[in-house]
Formats: sequence, C-alpha cells, structure tokens
Amino acid sequence: MDDLLQHFVVEARELIQQATEDLLALERDPDVVAHIDGAFRAVHTLKGSVGLFDFAPMGLALHAAEDLLGSMRADHGNVDSEAIDGLLGCINRAERWVDEIERTGQLPSDAAEEGYRLARVLRSRLEGNGHREIPVIPEADLGWIEALVSQRPASDAAQVQDTPLVALRYIPRDDCFFSGDDPVALLRSIPDLQAVRILNRNPWPPAGEMDPFSCNLVIEALSSAAYDAVKSVFRFVPDQVTIHEIPPGSMAPAHAAGSDGAVAEPMSPVVGAASSRMLRIDAARIDRMADLVGEMVVAKNALAHLAGQASNGLDHKDLARGLLANQATIDRLVAEMHRAVMDIRLMPMRDIFRRFPRAVRDIAGQSGKAVDFSMEGEDVEADKSVVEGLFEPLLHVLRNAIDHGAEPEALRLEAGKSARTVIVLRARRVGDRVVVEVQDDGRGIDPSRIRQVARERGLAPADGLDRMTDAEAIEMIFAPGFSTASEITDLSGRGVGMDVARSTIEGLGGEARVRSTPGRGTTISLTLPLTVAMTRVMAVRVGGELYGIPLDGIVETAIVPPNRVLPVREAEAFVLRDRTVPLIRLADLLETPRAVDRGGGTKVVVMTMGDELVGIAVDGFAERMDVLMRPMTGILAGMPGVAGTTLLGDGSVLMILDVPELIG
Amino acid sequence: MSVHRDGDVIFLKGNCRVEDAEPLLSLLQAGRGYIVDLTETEHLHAAVLQVLMALRPTLRGAGNDAFVRSWLTPALIGAKSIIAAPGNG
Repeated sequence: MDDLLQHFVVEARELIQQATEDLLALERDPDVVAHIDGAFRAVHTLKGSVGLFDFAPMGLALHAAEDLLGSMRADHGNVDSEAIDGLLGCINRAERWVDEIERTGQLPSDAAEEGYRLARVLRSRLEGNGHREIPVIPEADLGWIEALVSQRPASDAAQVQDTPLVALRYIPRDDCFFSGDDPVALLRSIPDLQAVRILNRNPWPPAGEMDPFSCNLVIEALSSAAYDAVKSVFRFVPDQVTIHEIPPGSMAPAHAAGSDGAVAEPMSPVVGAASSRMLRIDAARIDRMADLVGEMVVAKNALAHLAGQASNGLDHKDLARGLLANQATIDRLVAEMHRAVMDIRLMPMRDIFRRFPRAVRDIAGQSGKAVDFSMEGEDVEADKSVVEGLFEPLLHVLRNAIDHGAEPEALRLEAGKSARTVIVLRARRVGDRVVVEVQDDGRGIDPSRIRQVARERGLAPADGLDRMTDAEAIEMIFAPGFSTASEITDLSGRGVGMDVARSTIEGLGGEARVRSTPGRGTTISLTLPLTVAMTRVMAVRVGGELYGIPLDGIVETAIVPPNRVLPVREAEAFVLRDRTVPLIRLADLLETPRAVDRGGGTKVVVMTMGDELVGIAVDGFAERMDVLMRPMTGILAGMPGVAGTTLLGDGSVLMILDVPELIG
Repeated sequence: MSVHRDGDVIFLKGNCRVEDAEPLLSLLQAGRGYIVDLTETEHLHAAVLQVLMALRPTLRGAGNDAFVRSWLTPALIGAKSIIAAPGNG
C-alpha cells in the first residue's frame, strides 16, 4: 500500500474514534459545547484527508456531517438524538470504508450510492435552505467528453492519438462563493489545458432576477497533464468534480473517477498488508532506547580500552576485573534494551476499550435495554497481540451481558435495582498478568437453567450434570455448542459463541472464568499474560541433550530415592507428600535411551496436567531462563510435543517441549 | 475596485474579484447596451464570469493575461462575439 494511504488509514481511524467519542459524549450532555467542537474538528480533519484521495463519496458524506455539526455548533437547539444517530451512522460507515480501503486500496462499489444517501439524510436535518442538494451527475452521461475533445483547436487534434488526456467536469456548489471558492481560479490552476467549455447549469434567470452570488456554472476541461496532477487541483472539492482519463488512441474514457464513485485509481492491489503493520509509539520510549544505545556505545568503548590495555601486558587479575565489570555493564544494558524493545510492543487497553462505548450503545439500542456502561483501567498496558486479541472476545462478552444479563427496566425496579443495567468493563494488572472483567448487575445466570440447556443439547451426561456444583454448571456457558452461535451479530459480523471467546483467550495464553449470582449479576473475567513474547523455561538434561520445559507448568522439582519409585503394572509412580504421582521418564517420551542410573535418586520435575500432578523423570536439571520462544515454522510446524525453539548463549538451539502434548 | 464605467463602456481591469460581480451586475441590469472592455483584464472571478455569461453584453478585448485570452474569452464567445479592441490583435 502506498505510504500516504497507510498514514491515512491510521489517522482516519483515530479521527473516527475521536468523533465517535465526542458524539457519544454529546448525546449524554447536549449542553457541552466542547463535544460539538471536538466532533466537528475530527470530522473536518477527516474530510480534509479524504480529499487527498479518490474517495469522493466518503468526502461527500463527511462534508454533510461537517455542515450539520457546524450548524449544531452555531445553534445549540439542534442537538437531538436523531441527529446524533445520523452522524454516528455516517461515522460508522466511514469506519467500514476505511477498513475496505485498508484491504483493497479503494472504496467498495456501493460507496457512491451510500455516500449520497448519507449526505442526503444529514443535509435533510440542516435547517433553512442555505444548503441545497448537491447536483448528482448521471453516470452514463459522458457525451460531453466527446464534445470537448472535438472542440480542441484543429492544430492539436492530431495529437489526440498519442498523449493521454484527462477530461473533467466541475460543477461548483451553488454556494461555493461563500466558502471562498473561485472555480475559475481552479480552472486556471489545471496544468496543460487543452480545451475549456464553460456552461450554465440551469437556464439563466431574467437579468433582473440574477443572483450574482449563486454559482450556476458547469466547467468542462481537457488537459494533457497526468491524472493525479489534475485531480490534486480539485482535492478540496472532490464531491463537485468528475475526472475521466482518456488513454491515447481511444476516445472512450478508460477509467472514471470522482462523484460517480467508480474509483479506479491505478493502485496495485494491496498485497501482504499484514506484513507491513504499523505501530504507533510513544516518543518517550524511543528516547529511552536512544539513551540505552548511547550507554552501549560507552560500554563498547570501555571494552576497546580494556583490549588495548590487555595487548600492552595488563596483568591477569586486573584484566579479569576489568572484563567482569564490563560484562556486568553490558549485561545490564542488554537486559534494559530488551525490556525497552518489549515495551514498544506494549499498548494500553484504551486502544480497544475506546471502541466499546459505541458498540454497547448500538447493542443496547437494538435489544431495547437501558445500560449504564463505564470503563476502568484503560491505562493498563499489555502486549499488542494480547490487547488486540481481546477485542472480539470482549465484544461477545459485552453483547451477552446486554442480551442475556440486562433485564427490562420494570423487572429491575421491582427487584429494587436502578432502572438502567450497570455494566463495568475493567482492566487491572495482577503480577505479570492482566485481568479484564466485564461485570453486570443483571439477572445473573441460573445454574438450573444451564443444566437444563446442557442436558437438552447433550453437552454432558445427565448424572455428571447433577453432580456438578453450581459454579461448575455455570462454567458450562463456555462449552462448545452451548452458546446459540447461530445468531449473527451486527457488530462482529458472525456468530461467535462463548466457547470461541474462551478458546481465543486460551490461544493468547490466558483463561476465562465466570462468576454469577442469580438476581445479582454476572462477572466474566479474562486473565491474560502481559506479554506473550517471553517464556520462562527450565532447562533439563536427557540423554546428553538439553531441553526446555515451560516453567508455568512446573510445580516443583524433587529427587526421589530409588526405593520410593513404585512400579504400577507397566508404569511407575512415586509418593510425594502422601500423594501418589505417576512417574513418566522423559527419555521414554523422546524415545532416547535412558541414562544409566548411578544411584542417588531420580530427578523429577513435578508438573500439573489438568488437575493432576505428574512427575517427569530427567537426567539432570539445568538453569532457569527467560527465552524468546519462536514457534516452529515450515515443515516442523506440525511437530507434536514441541512448543518452539530458542537460541542459547552458545549458539545452540534449545527445543522447548510441550510435555502434556508429549504424554498425549 | 476593478469595475468602472466610462460612458458606454464598462472596464474590467486587473484582477476582478467576487465583490466585483455585484456592481457589474447592477450596471448591466440598467440595460443600456454597455460594452464590457476586457483589454486589461487579468483574472475574472467565476462570479464575474457568470454575470457576463448571463447578461451577454458585447465584449471588447481579449484580456491581458494568457489564461484569460486563451480560455476565458473564447468560452465567452458563446455569450456574444468579441469586438476586437483597438490595437489588440
């Protein structure tokens, strides 16, 4: 994707977000002028950036939104929720267009129609007749180009065949003089003019009734300049101009653009958009990295100095001391550098949270529930992949809270609750994990109802259901097939069940839990690692090789005396603090020869597997380390039992085992 | 002010701006068959241009600017033929 367009996508999203927030705030407090101002500025800036590209329908709709906001600003009485709905609809559509632009580089084919529709809806809300309909140019009417070409001076006509031409028809808005436009000045700035026709749009009124300040012109022109050069002249009035390119040797316009919306900017299809993801980074973080690099240069110089001294016969003790000191410095710097780089990947929850107020408003509106939505902990940061991965699951959880949790107002008042359902989205940091909760004070989940549904859908054996505690039964909402996933949601665009929400969270290394009290409300909490990039592993030796085992599955290590290992049929077990734990030899799992037992006991790594403990016998323990785990790629990707690899300090590769998968 | 009248001739001189449209229109509305002289015209604002198009006065001169000469006055021919100004080819 072209650089400029990429920046546009990023900026447009921010402006759309800003406008949305201000409009929602405006709906709550219609008297606060700052909200109108904020929304106006955001829409105005967005419209301006849209004008740099060939997205006329989007510009048209936003222009109308801007005008409506402008009139709201001038006259406060105009703020009503219908107008806000219209504006939000326009912004919402703009957001989808931006998504489409990011994907394909252009607006969808129905954008022209939709843009006009939005503009009409918004303009219809404008009071007075100061703003009139923008003329709609019939798409098929291209005869004017022919007339224009034939009008070229005869001496130039021969050239038609060898240079591409750009034909344009510019219909200024009738109130354009008031916004300072001079259509003739624009015409003048078109490079390489070849032909000009200036016509009246409507018949001229009798001389006595002429309004000199209402523009009634149609300007047609032919230029031999590049398409983009011509287009950029009209970047501020994209909705009023139609530009067609006429390739050499052909009269038929090959590509049309502008207000007919059949945008065909010669832009290569976006390939590998995912590979060029952009990250917005706080400048302070970059400064910190720059400082660290500076310190590293100092450390490197110290090392050079030391090397010089060593060759001049520095004695061993001093050399060793110098090297150690230098090594410690570099060690610290590398660690800090690493943290700094990791920090860059951190992003605040705000980046996704800010999208929820509108989503909640929309869902609540659709289901006719009254909801008071608030958020806490927007500043909590986590790895970009974690934060972004949370969006879909959270959206689903919020939708559930509104659809199933919130009760009708009458029922709530009867139960002594406030009329509006209170839903809180909360993020907080707990150790090296982040907990995101959605809490509602709705009707709660009835365990008996859950059991009934689970029985009907055959999700668990009947006796199993009866034995479950209520808390366990409630957890069934995460079972595959439990949610009515057939319902297609407007917002996510597809039915996502709670099971999918949970598996998304688990894919990020997290877990989903539910707590609920009937009549009092439900809390869904999602616990995730702060970062997915670093893994703590413990290295173990088996058959002379080193393997890593992720530390989060390890409970403890133990040395079991030979006489405490009990054979159980084919297998082995040992007793750990009065508990029998199955013993599995890692050498067997890896199909390498067992080491000769030298006595002195079996070294065992005790791990959890589900709710059970299991002992993994290894030949030796090595150090614990934080590693950057790389997932297996290519033909090794499907290799069972290996979670990934990492490079060790000596350049060798450490395989990190997925022990539960190895045991199978 | 770039619009001024001298006898039967209205001169549009230099850069004619949007605010010149109104006085030009008032003069032409008086309807005395004025000639509009473009000899020293350097730019015509669209508002001025459309007054000339709508009221179709007789024009004289082709403008003192390449753009006006090449494109604006020829476009106005549709409104009324241009009388070659004295000394202007």
